[in-house]
Amino acid sequence: MQKAYRQVIDMWLPLLGILIGIILGMVLPISIPTAYSSYMSIAVLAALDSVFGGIRASLEKNFQADVFISGFFGNAILAAGLAYIGDRLDVPIYLCAIFVFGYRLFNNFAQIRRHFLGILRKKSYTNKYSDK
Amino acid sequence: MKKLGDRILLMLVCIILGLMLAAQFKNVQNVGGSVSLQRAQELTAQIQKLNQEIESQQKLIQELEDRVKEYESAAQDAGKLNEAMYKDLERARNLAGLTDLEGAGIVVTVNHISYQESGESGIIRNVYHEDLLMLVNELNAAGAEAIAINDERIISTTEIRDAGDYIVINTNRHSAPFEIKALGNPDTLEASLMLLGGVADTLGEDLEIKIRKENSIKIPKYNGVLQFEYAVPVQ
Repeated sequence: MQKAYRQVIDMWLPLLGILIGIILGMVLPISIPTAYSSYMSIAVLAALDSVFGGIRASLEKNFQADVFISGFFGNAILAAGLAYIGDRLDVPIYLCAIFVFGYRLFNNFAQIRRHFLGILRKKSYTNKYSDK
Repeated sequence: MKKLGDRILLMLVCIILGLMLAAQFKNVQNVGGSVSLQRAQELTAQIQKLNQEIESQQKLIQELEDRVKEYESAAQDAGKLNEAMYKDLERARNLAGLTDLEGAGIVVTVNHISYQESGESGIIRNVYHEDLLMLVNELNAAGAEAIAINDERIISTTEIRDAGDYIVINTNRHSAPFEIKALGNPDTLEASLMLLGGVADTLGEDLEIKIRKENSIKIPKYNGVLQFEYAVPVQ
């Protein structure tokens, strides 16, 4: 019971963080030059994937801070940089970034979903037996 | 595992992600994001609709003008006084640019010069509205009686201004090449442009300017509506 509760917090803390970030971003006068908007969108996708990966890892109890941080910034910069180079060379590399990170995003989400479903299933199973 | 530290880290990074999301969101809202195919189709449909509307409005103008002509011919029949008035009216209309005119004059074509250098092609510079204004100004000074650019009659309220890649004349968009027709003494008009150090000389440095004299040029009438909303004649 305690464990499931903690895991729910693990799940919601990052979402709360994103919410705080969005509110801060709306209030603070941050803006990106329009020319870099398309690269920013790729970086956002990479960062989103990293955060979902982090949530999954913390649920599976193999969260490593260094891996997470380097993945977050590294992926975002690499994705934006590749998209930039692709634009210069007229090769749509950004498509590759969208495919890879989109795929991983869904994968991570599936893992998180399975994890919680597994907990729920176990709970209903034990409830059944304690009732008898 | 250092649970607390990890959580704070995760949260911090999430805040950064949130900031990025918000910044991107604001950006997309400001610019409208990349134009989707659907939006492009929507806009195309709108343009088509508006074009149809323009056509129908032009038909309406034509109809109304026909009616004015009917009234005029009716008035002409009424008597000698009316005939004099009709002549005055006709003269005023000619001066105001509301009738098609033809006669001798010159045709000036203005275009940008394209070049091709080591596989790279481009133009030296665009035609700006100042170039056209200079030409029109010079032609007026040389006694041109009627001027039209790309068949847009230049009248007292005509604007010639840059709007992005286009030059707007009589609220219609035009782009190079421009054909300026001017009625008047062809020799005088040509000479005024061809002066040493004159307009054709200056603009000819980086634009393609061709002048040809013609015995018969047709200049169309002004197609818009002239209306005074604020101005009233002094009594």
